[in-house]
Formats: sequence, structure tokens, C-alpha cells
Amino acid sequence: MHLTSRADSSLSLVSSSQGTNFTEAMALRSISRRFGSRVLSYRSSSVASLHSHATSFGFQQVKEEEKSKLVGNVFTNVASSYDIMNDVMSGGLHRLWKERLVGKLSPFAGMKHLDVAGGTGDVAFRIFDAVNSVKRRALRKVDEASLEETQIYVCDINPNMLNVGKQRAAERGLGDNKSLVWVEGDAEALSFDDNSMDGYTIAFGIRNVTHIEKALAEAYRVLKRGGRFLCLELSHVDIPVFKDVYDLYSFKVIPNLGELIAGDRESYQYLVESVRRFPPQEKFATMIADAGFEKVEYENLVGGVVAIHSAIKL
Amino acid sequence: MYRTAAKRLLGAGLTTSRLLRSTIIPSSYTSNLCTSSMGHTEFSNQSGPTAAGEGPRRKPRPEFEEEQARVLSASLRHVARLGWTEEAMMAGSRDVGVSPSIVGSFSRKEAALVEYFMDECLQLLVDRVDSGLDLQNLIPSERISKLVRVRLEMQVPYISKWPQALSIQAHPVNVPTSFKQRAMLVDEMWHSVGDGASDLDWYVKRTVLGGVYSTTEIYMLTDDSPEYRETWEFLDDRVKDAFDLKKSIQEAKYFAQDIGAGVGKSFQGLMNGVMQTMSTRGGRSSSSF
Repeated sequence: MHLTSRADSSLSLVSSSQGTNFTEAMALRSISRRFGSRVLSYRSSSVASLHSHATSFGFQQVKEEEKSKLVGNVFTNVASSYDIMNDVMSGGLHRLWKERLVGKLSPFAGMKHLDVAGGTGDVAFRIFDAVNSVKRRALRKVDEASLEETQIYVCDINPNMLNVGKQRAAERGLGDNKSLVWVEGDAEALSFDDNSMDGYTIAFGIRNVTHIEKALAEAYRVLKRGGRFLCLELSHVDIPVFKDVYDLYSFKVIPNLGELIAGDRESYQYLVESVRRFPPQEKFATMIADAGFEKVEYENLVGGVVAIHSAIKL
Repeated sequence: MYRTAAKRLLGAGLTTSRLLRSTIIPSSYTSNLCTSSMGHTEFSNQSGPTAAGEGPRRKPRPEFEEEQARVLSASLRHVARLGWTEEAMMAGSRDVGVSPSIVGSFSRKEAALVEYFMDECLQLLVDRVDSGLDLQNLIPSERISKLVRVRLEMQVPYISKWPQALSIQAHPVNVPTSFKQRAMLVDEMWHSVGDGASDLDWYVKRTVLGGVYSTTEIYMLTDDSPEYRETWEFLDDRVKDAFDLKKSIQEAKYFAQDIGAGVGKSFQGLMNGVMQTMSTRGGRSSSSF
């Protein structure tokens, strides 16, 4: 099942600088909607729910300062079996989702790309392949300006995940390749310069960030003008019967799989709970627009189990 | 057809504005149209998007659409060299000062560029007609000829890569849009001609002109004559055929009516004969009971 919600018309929102949130003080943003325009009343509710994301660890309530550490522990524990568990939980579908993400990105030679929370390198490797295999043939026709080196930065807060990624790179023979750069860093406070990236992807990572709006603001900061933001994330299913099947699968099957294969039930319990706590598609699209992005769209895959949000910085 | 209908409703005085109107129409581009030069022409560098001279706009356009339009406009300059491809669009985006990543945000990438070009040409055609293309002293068939010629001359700078554009338009995914654009173009041409008194059906008129336009367009791809003289001769012949076709269709209609009347009479006669035979036979058989 493949639902596409894409927008043709747009709404320009001019906001006055109410509210304490600094991202809400941006002068002009636009949100793409499918059917006409809808004026969004100024969200005090959104501040509350953002706050709730920052203090939620799955269905538990935790202190904001602690969330980061707790998430870190989760990923330290799962790093080694992360890829296998992905395959098992999604029935191999996660590969197709990531292919779709990279397809949407349309990587080109000479691009500077940042993949955040991309620890084990799935997305980064796909971008690397896309740029270097087929497109290299087309390089001959391209201007000299674009013959700069492609740079793909993989940023992750967890060194264990990065190590797994580096290992996989070595296995593919890309260990010394200068195009792939592994950086340890925090999505909320990136160490890259302003306006330096052509593309920014975050696959199955933004859910784990404590302050989503900060991550979005950082994404906005590092992207160049015309740069694209793409986010692949588990999202909300609304289809009646399928929703129940999905819930059953999430809460009954996945933690058991986690126990069986990775030996870690709690981490996978956290995973499925955090998916439920993450804002739904429309809400997240609003947050992206609040960060200053234009042409915010999202595409549901498998009926909403996964959604790809995309936007441009202008 | 939607645009021309709107124009008629709102009066000729209003400047029509399309949603996708670019903020730059390179002045060198329009001047090239007037001289109908052949081959690849260099366009002077635009200093950057100009907001002035936009004209009255009905709806404020979202910024990203404007930006995309700017990128497409800049990409057209690279088409002669790079073709209707992503590379041309990336080069265009660099000209505008935007990351080439924006190309990824166009749905059906190269098709977006071709469609933008088609829209721009239609707009230019409308402008040329509005600003006094001399059509008054010509008979309808010559007016049509002239309009098609004006429109096809806009493609001259890109003629070397035009087959690629045609193949992009023929792609199943892109057919709905390209068909709609051509329909609008043909409708616009008939509207400019004045939609004179004619016996032909509305659809037939547009289909015929669509056929004339497409065949001439394809003929032009292989024409080497100076100033595309042979193409214009071909065009004139086709238009003449089309107008003759109108008369032929009328004659055919009358002919069919006559035949139909004749056949109908003889069929009726036959049926009468049959009924009579059956009734007499039936009468005879019934009498035997």
C-alpha cells in the first residue's frame, strides 16, 4: 500500500513573534496542503506537545536532561544487531524505504550531503552508489564547476553505531574513500558551517532526538539555499483495520523479536512506544514549516507505517 | 480553453496572468524570436531575478514556485548544449545561485523543464497576438498559417534538441500534461484567428489544427532549407488541405444524407414487400385451418 499525500497549492503564513519558541519568530513560511488553504491558529497546543516529546521516553515520562542518555543507552545496546533487527521487523522493507528516500533526494556528483543519525551507513552507502555508479557516465557532459568532490558526511551521536558503519564501509572496500566522512555529533547542535550542505537526510533518527525543533532548526542552518531536507520516519497509521493489525504487530511481536534476536526486550519496547509518541504526519509537516522550510510535503508508505517528509530551504 | 474563456468573460483590457509566469523573460530571447535566427544562439547573462516590471498579479505566488520558475528559466539557456536533462537544470540552478539539489524537488524533472518551455511559448504567442500581430488582412487559412509559424519559430533555438523534448512529452507519465498544453495552444490559436463562421465542429477544428501543428513540428526537425522555407510551404499546404477538408466533409455529409435517403427508401420498399408476402401467406395458411 502506498499512499501519497502531496500538495499543489500553498499557504503563506505570516506570524507575529508571539511565543517563546525562537523558531516561531520566523517571518514567512509556507506550508503545502492538498486541498486549499487552512489557516493555522497559533499553537499553544503545539508547544505543549513538543514539550511532551522532550520528556517522553516511549510511554514513560522522564526528565529532559535524561532522555538523551537513555536513548544513548538504547543504541549502544542495539548497535551490533541493528541491521538484522531492521530486516526482521520490517520484513526487509526498510531497504525499499531507504531506496525511495535516496531516489527522492536525486543525488548528484559534487554534492555535499549530510546524513544525520545515520550511524550504520545505510542511507550514506546508497547515496554514494547513486552518485558514483550511474551518474559518473553523465559527468562528462557536466560543467567543470560540479567536478568538485562529492562529500557525504555521516553524523551520529552514538560512537558504537558509527563504528558499525565504519566497519561496513571497510567491508565494501570504502574504508579509505574520502567521500565518506564519519562524524560524531548531535543533531541538535551540528558542527557544520551554515549554508554548507546540499542535502540533509535523517532516516529513523528524528524520533530519538530530544528537541525535534532544534534538530529542524539545525537542519535549516546547515543547508544551502535550494538544499533539500528529507526525513524518513515511522509514522501514524489511520486506516481502520490495518491500524489494529499494525498495533498488534508492534506491541506483541516486536518486543518478543527483540528479546529473541537481540536479547533486549526493553529497547524494542522503547522503539514501538516512541513511534506512537512522535507527532503525526501533518503535525510534523507543520513543525518543518515552522523551521523555515518551503514546499513541505510528505508521502506515506505502507499506509502510513512510514512517511517521507521533504522540504526545500529557500 | 479555460484561459481564453476567462479572458472573454473579463474583457480584453485585463492583462492575463498565469500562475507559472516567470519573473524573467530574457529580453534577448524575445528579440531572437523576431529575427527567427537559426541554430544555437548565445543569450546574454541575466544579472539576476528582477522583481520590478512584474505587472499586476492576481494571486501572490508561493516563493518556492517562483524560485523553481527562475531555475527553469535559467536552465533554458543550457538546453542547446546539454539537452532537456537534469544537467541543464542543475546548470540553471547554479546560475540562479541555488543549490542543484532543488532539481530533485521537481516532479518528473526533465518534463518540468519542457512543460515550462511550452507554457512560456504559449504566453509569448498570446503576447505577440495581443500586441498586434497583423492578422486582419489575411484570410483565415493564412492567419492559421501565420500563427503556427510564429509559434514554431520560438522553437528554432532549441531545434537540435527538440526531438528529445518530444520524446519526453510522449512518455506515458507526461502525456496528460503535454496533451493539455497542446490542447490549450490549439484553442488559443483558434481564438486568435477569431473563431470565424465555420461549419466544422469545435472538437474537429481543434483536432485538425493539432494534427497540422504536430506534423509541421516534426517536419521542421529534418528541414535543412534556409529559414525553414520548406517547412512553411509544407505548413501552407497542410492548412489548405484542412480547409479543403472542411468543404469535403460538408459535401460528404450531404452525400451521405442523399445515400441514406435512397437506401432508406429502398429498404422501406423491401420491408413492405416482405410484410405483404408474409400476410398473404399467413392468410392462406390460416384459411386452411
